This record gives sequence, structure tokens and C-alpha cells, in this order.
Amino acid sequence: MEKTKSYKTAFALLILALIITFLLNISLGSVSIPLNEIFSILTGNGASKKTWEHIILDYRVPKTIVAVMAGGGLAVSGLLMQTLFRNPLAGPFVLGISSGASLGVAFLILGASAIGGVFGNLLMNQWNIVLAAGLGSFLVLLAVLAASFKIRDTMTILIIGLMFGSVTTAIVSVLSYFSDAEQLQQYVFWSFGSLGNQSREGVGILFICLLTGLILSIFSSKSLNSLLLGENYARSMGLHIKRTTVIIILATSILAGSITAFAGPIAFVGLAVPHLVRQVFKTSDHFILMPAVLLSGSILMLICDTLAQLPFSTQTLPINAITSLVGAPVVIWLLVRKRKLFF
Amino acid sequence: MKEKPDILEVQNLSIGYGSNVISKDINFSLKKGEIVGLVGANGIGKSTLLRTITSMQPRISGDIFLKGQELSEFSSFQISLEMSVVLTEPPASKNLTVSEMVSLGRQPHTNWFGKLSQEDKEKIQTALELTETEELKNKRCYELSDGQMQKVAIARAIAQDTPIIILDEPTTHLDIYHRAYLLKLLVKLAEEKKKTILFSTHEVDLAIQMTHKMIVMKKDETLFGTPSELIKNKSFDSLFPSGTIKFDPDSGKFIIP
Amino acid sequence: MFYLRSLIFLLVFLLIFSCNQKEKKQDSSISSTESITLTHHASSFEIQDFGNYYIIEIKTPWPDSDKGFKYLLVREGVEVPGSENFDEVLQIPVKTIAVTSTTHIPSLEMLGVENALIGFPNPDFISSEKTRKRIKEGKIKDFGKNEDINTEILIELSPDVLVGFGMDGTNPSFPLIRKSGIPVLYNADWTETSPLGKAEWIKFFGVLFDKTEEAEEIFNDIVTQYNEAKALALQSKTKPTVISGAMYRDIWYVPQGNSWGARFIEDAHGDYLWKDSPGTGSLALNLEQVIEKGLEAEFWIGPGQFTSFSELKDASASYSKFEAFQNKNIFTYNLRKGEKGGSVYFELAPNRPDLVLKDMIKILHPELLEDYEPYFFDKLR
Repeated sequence: MEKTKSYKTAFALLILALIITFLLNISLGSVSIPLNEIFSILTGNGASKKTWEHIILDYRVPKTIVAVMAGGGLAVSGLLMQTLFRNPLAGPFVLGISSGASLGVAFLILGASAIGGVFGNLLMNQWNIVLAAGLGSFLVLLAVLAASFKIRDTMTILIIGLMFGSVTTAIVSVLSYFSDAEQLQQYVFWSFGSLGNQSREGVGILFICLLTGLILSIFSSKSLNSLLLGENYARSMGLHIKRTTVIIILATSILAGSITAFAGPIAFVGLAVPHLVRQVFKTSDHFILMPAVLLSGSILMLICDTLAQLPFSTQTLPINAITSLVGAPVVIWLLVRKRKLFF
Repeated sequence: MKEKPDILEVQNLSIGYGSNVISKDINFSLKKGEIVGLVGANGIGKSTLLRTITSMQPRISGDIFLKGQELSEFSSFQISLEMSVVLTEPPASKNLTVSEMVSLGRQPHTNWFGKLSQEDKEKIQTALELTETEELKNKRCYELSDGQMQKVAIARAIAQDTPIIILDEPTTHLDIYHRAYLLKLLVKLAEEKKKTILFSTHEVDLAIQMTHKMIVMKKDETLFGTPSELIKNKSFDSLFPSGTIKFDPDSGKFIIP
Repeated sequence: MFYLRSLIFLLVFLLIFSCNQKEKKQDSSISSTESITLTHHASSFEIQDFGNYYIIEIKTPWPDSDKGFKYLLVREGVEVPGSENFDEVLQIPVKTIAVTSTTHIPSLEMLGVENALIGFPNPDFISSEKTRKRIKEGKIKDFGKNEDINTEILIELSPDVLVGFGMDGTNPSFPLIRKSGIPVLYNADWTETSPLGKAEWIKFFGVLFDKTEEAEEIFNDIVTQYNEAKALALQSKTKPTVISGAMYRDIWYVPQGNSWGARFIEDAHGDYLWKDSPGTGSLALNLEQVIEKGLEAEFWIGPGQFTSFSELKDASASYSKFEAFQNKNIFTYNLRKGEKGGSVYFELAPNRPDLVLKDMIKILHPELLEDYEPYFFDKLR
């Protein structure tokens, strides 16, 4: 598409904002650590207290990196879903990805007693939640892909995804009914979402998944632009609709699925960020939108996580609560001001 | 006179949905530089026929040859280099600027990143000039009138630079000035730019005046020929149920008796 | 004759004494294969005393677990080969500790090491007055919840050891906490179902603070008190029938026969009407099943969350049909609360089964313990 505007300043501002929010996120937390100490730790010179080094290097830095990846990944997958289904209400989870993950984790935490502890004891280590969530998403993805092969209409795929979501929610309800208080609490805490407490290996695996998903997304940008005119026009311009649909669904699943497996279901970011970016950048060109959405998603997630840490207090809030509380009013304000959804 | 080669040839085509045959035994061929009109009553299957020959929907039986080769052997991409379309549906995203929309016509020609080469830009410019939409270049599509939108859609198809352009009812919802303007533009594309134009329309009289050949779809048969041949064969007489209107061969119009 | 007997007795005594001495004289260098087992009642864990070091084995960290944990606790300067094979190795005595359940608090207080406690998740739950004083003085830091530990605060707090518990091996904060150098030990007192077994967990803390002898002494005292009370109960001429639990929504959760609470009823010479149900958890029954079996029970102990007769009546008309209701023989532990609402029963009862048993006897056979005031239970208001 012809680039009629220069977006250089906008991108420069975004990158600057990313750097600032990144540093802010590392600097603020439950324990207040002086800035010069943080700087010293990050440049490899250690700090006056060993505990501060542990907090910064083992807890905050991995958390910040996960926030950047989760925010960017979810925002990009939201953009993909909105364009593929030509629906402004679509988000990364319309295909039932987070429902599948929730189901997998529910079976693990709530259903272990129902299944007699066999499944639950299989891999009793820090990876079992990640694996359960990943397996759940993957199975739902297979089901949706199988459905999309037989069906030509993307609207139908969307509805099937939503239906899968309802079914898994129902199953989780039944499992919850038969669980005791501690199991429920554990499950509920997982569903709040959590960016922290990830191991080095976990961050590494998430990075690989993110890279894969992003590469697929970037290479779909041209196809996504064609889809802006509708499926029929897109096909007349040479787009292989089925193949494109599969690649886009695959990219979304890898991005949203891996993030949900490691950090739990994080709401709203995938839905809201593409809208925010579209309103500000005023373009539908995916070659501009994709990097802008990637950066903006990371920035938003960093801001939300910094707020969730409730700096200087002993309490913390779950990330899910903050993303919704912060994001929804912003989108509403933007829409009311512009009085028209740029989509 | 040397016979011009067939760009698109259709033999014994049956169209429809699933097992439901809407129309069968369709035969026609389009040559380079011809403008062909497709007429018929509402619901007779004009749109279905156009969608079938552009590979947007599967045929029930029969053959379609594009430049001598079976259409089913072409990939979407290969077809996009030969045929471009103008549909009745509006673009899904109305927020595109006119120039963005016309530029999308170059999708089959650009690289992975959609970068427009100098040649691409020239073709876009030509398309805008031909449709007289250059002054609308920076307007958003939702700001355009129906007539302007139609011109822009045609500009996009022109920018795609294909030998064949297929249009589904391009003149509906337009006033008589724009109808005439558009048809003259299509004739110009056929005669000056040597494109093959196939369009469906309700304006039988305008089509008779301005086309080289016509395809007439009726309930039981589909006829193909020059307008004068079709008039002579009284092909238009039974186009609509008799009694309410009548075809007048002298004026080439339908009149209310 | 008398002198011969006493001589033999003296010889045997000396023999035993010297054997013990020999084991205590073992020096610190080589790992010995001779050890004394310190735990005798608990099935969820075992402590092996090797003289200069201890091995604690947690057998059932959570129900249905198929693997346990082995911890090595060594005195300063002691080397034990093969220490890398343990789940945790730490030096004893520890000076500072963070725990995660109120049941851990009484052990610390009984051993006199409550000043070592520097962190607890949500300290409002703690009832003990001694520790509440320290909380008011700001000496105990709040670090979140066991399921959602505030990793930063805990790392900053840096206790010598964190005593946690888990439903399964998936607590997300533990790996990072261990990485920062704080050992994490799983406490499984809550999986223990025998009254004395639960109380024996004081020895766990005894090892951590290198006060195993004191722990042993305190525990033995509890055992003696318990057994005396049990013997006393046997003297009663009656064996009253007892029901327990209450409805939550439509389901009446009734403790199973082998559950911790049910055992006290049996040991207090009461007839718990579901004593034959196997299992250590609770049964989910409907009202009809409970009425069928327990409508005429003489005593109702532990009616769920209810603390007054009027509350029961408002919740369901069926409750007032029970004979225990009509005779006003319903007893609850929910009326004894700490300053900020923590349950005294949940905190102290697991550690003092002797008191629980005496309470039970006082309820079922008041004539046997006339001067005793119940520690946990009150009649419903």
C-alpha cells in the first residue's frame, strides 16, 4: 500500500515510550530499591545487598521481559483475528484458545481428584501447568482447524470457536463444583494471570514461540491488506484464502497459546490495543499497524504490570484486573471522542 | 479478416449451488478488445455466472478456458494476473483512502512487503486519471458518493492491469449521467486499451447500443451473439413475461404498451 | 535375692546407658549408618537422628502424592557426603524462620523460639496473643498468601528457612525463592490424620532449632495427658451418639470415620454415627441421609459455620427437628477467635490433641471432668 504519511516520529516516540516503561517496570515493586543500585545491578556491578540482586535479576528482569513479550504477542494476535474475521470485537481468544488452556489447567488442578490422581501425579513439577495449558489450547486449536477445513465461511469458524469456549467453560464449572476450597483457590489464582515467577528456560521457550508467531504474522501482512476489501476481492487479487486462513490461525494460536500457557489468560490487551493504534495512526495498512501494535501492546502491558505491583505497598493486584480496568475506559473515551470506530 | 483469438471461452457450462442447477448449456466466447454485456431478469443467475467464470464459486459441469487453458488448472494468483473484478459488495473496510484502495489493485504485482515500484505507481496514476478520480485521491471511501465509489472500484480493477475485467452490475444505483459515463469508460477501455470487458446490467437498451456482443440469460436457454443478431432472432421478446412490457426492435428498447 | 535383682537391673541399665553414650560420642566426620528414629506416631513424616545431623523425610507432602521429600539438616561445620541427593540441605539451628500456616505457630511458641518468626502470609489469621504482640510491634512481615507469595518481599526478608505447604508440586513462587538461597521445606501436618501424629510435628520444628530433646519432652507430655484422658473416658457408663457437620447449600458434609475430628469422638468414648465410613475426608450427603441416621443423635459437635441456634433455625427448618437441637446439645469451636478473627481451633487444636480430647470428654461425659473448662468448644448461643 502506498504510504501517504511519514510515521517516523510516531515510531520513534513508541520506541522511546517502550524504553521508559521498561525501566520503570524494573525499578518499581513491593520492595523499594534505590535507582543507583538498580543501575549498578543491571550493568553487572552488583549491589550492596545480595537480596536486591536476586530480586532484580531473578524476579523483576524476567517478569519485565515476559510483560514485553506477552503484551506484544497478544496485541498482534488480536490484530490478526480482527482482520481475518472482519470483526472489531474479535480478540486473540475468539478461537477458544484461553478456554482450552483453562480446561487443561482445570483438569490438572481441579480434576486430579476426579481422575484419581493418576494424571495429576504424572509430572508434578513446575512445568505441569504450562504443559496442561498448552495441551488444552492445542487440542482446541486442532478442533477449530478441522472445522475450518470443511467450512468456507470465516464467520462460521468464529462461531465455532465461541461455542468451544462455552463448552469448556461448562466443563470447568462442573469440575469446580466437585472441588474443595484449596483447589478452587489455586485454579482461580491461575486464572488471574501472572507475569512473574518464570524460570529462565520458560522465558526462553516463550521467546522462541513468540518469534515464530511474529514471523508468520509479518509474512501475512500483505494478505491481511488484501482481506481489507473482503474475501471475494482478496481472492480476485490472488489470495489463497484457505492457506492464508490457516497460517493466520496458526500464528494466533502460537502467540496467544504460548502466552496463556506461561502467564495464564490475560484479558483485554489483545482486543483493545489494535483499536487504540488504529485510532491514533489512522491507517489500516498492516505493514504499519503490525509493528505499531507490537510496540504498543508491550508498552500497555508494562504499564499495567507496574500498576499491579502497587509499588511501595505489600499488596499486589492480579494483572487481569488491571488490564481491564485500565484498558476499557481508554477505548471508550477514544471512541466517544472520535464518535466513529476506525476499523 | 483474421479471427481474433479467444481470451475466455465457455462451453456447455452449468452453474448453480450444490445440486441446484440455476442455468445450463451456457456457451459464449470473449475476444480481445471486446465489450460484452450480460442481461437477464432478476434472479436469473447473472451474478452466479460471473462468480463461476471468475472461479469464486465452483461450477456444476462444463468447461471454461482461459487463454486456451482450463480455468481449474490456474491458481488464484495466476487468475489474478488475467482477470480483475468489480463487485456489487462494498469493500469491507471503508476507512481506506481512495489511493490506498486503488493501490491494492497492484497486489498481484508487488513483492512480499507490498512495496510499490515506479511502474506500479504509474499504473495507479493512469487508473486514477482514466476514471477521473485523481482529485479524490486522499479522501476516505466512506466520504464518497455511490457514483464516486463505483469509479474508484473500477480504478482499482484497472490498476490491476489484467486483460479481462469483469463487472457485476456496475451501473445500478447510479443516475443516468453516471451510467452513461461509466459505460463510455468501459467502451474506451475495450477499444483503446484493448481490454476484454464483460459486465452484467439491467440497462438492456444501453447494452444494445454500446456492446459488441451480448449474453442473454433466459429461463430455459442462454443466447449469445451481436445485438443486431439477437434482435433479429427475437431473443429479447421473451426476456420478460409478456403483457406488462414489450420489446420494440426498431428503437431497441423495452416499452410499456 | 533383692541384691541380685538390683545388680542385674543396674547392669542392664549401665549397658543401655553406655550404648546411648557410645552413639552420642560419634564424631562429626563420617556418615554413620546408625540412627535413631525420632517419630513414632506420625505416618506423614519421619525424622532420623544421626547425632550431628538429621534427616527429615516427608512421606506424604500432599494427599495421593507418589513422591516425598528428603531434607538434610546439619550442625555447623559438619560434612555429610551425598548431601547433593537431598531436596534441601540446611544448617541448624536456624535463626530466622517464615511459616505459612497458623498450625506452625504453637510449635514455635512451645519450643520458646517464637522470636525467630519474621514473616507470615496474612498475619491477621494468627490468634495466639504472644505472637499477636509481636505482630503489633511490626516484627512479623506480611508476604501475601501461600498460593501467591509476594516473591520480592520474601526474598528481601531472607529468612533462614521458609516452611510452606502445597496441594501439589506447583507453587509458582517456590522455585524462585529457592534460587535466591532461601531453603523451602514442605510441612505436611495437615495430611496427618491421627491426633498424636499431627501433634508430633513439633519435632519437625524441634530439629530446625536443634531442640529435639525439648520437643520430645513436650510431645511426650502431650501423649501422656492424652492417654490418661482416654483411659478416663473409658470409665464412663454411657456411649452417647454423635453427629457432625452441617449443610452448605444442599450438601451436608459429614466427616468420615477415620478423619482426624472423628477419632476424638471415639477416643472420648462417644459413638460417632459415621464411624464405619472409610476415609479421612468428608462425605457429601443430602439432608435425608443425615436425618435417617442422625435425627435422634444425642450430641451434635461441629455444626459447620453456625454459632447460634437461631442461625441454624433460619438456615433450615429441618435443623430444629434434630434431637440434639431440641436438647440444646450442639457444640462449636467457632466462637473462640483471635483478636483479628483467626480461629483458635485451627491454630492450636492440631498441636494439643490432649486438650481437644478433654474438651470432647467434658462435652460427652461432663461428670468425669467437673473442674475442667473447655479450651476450644462452646455450646451454641
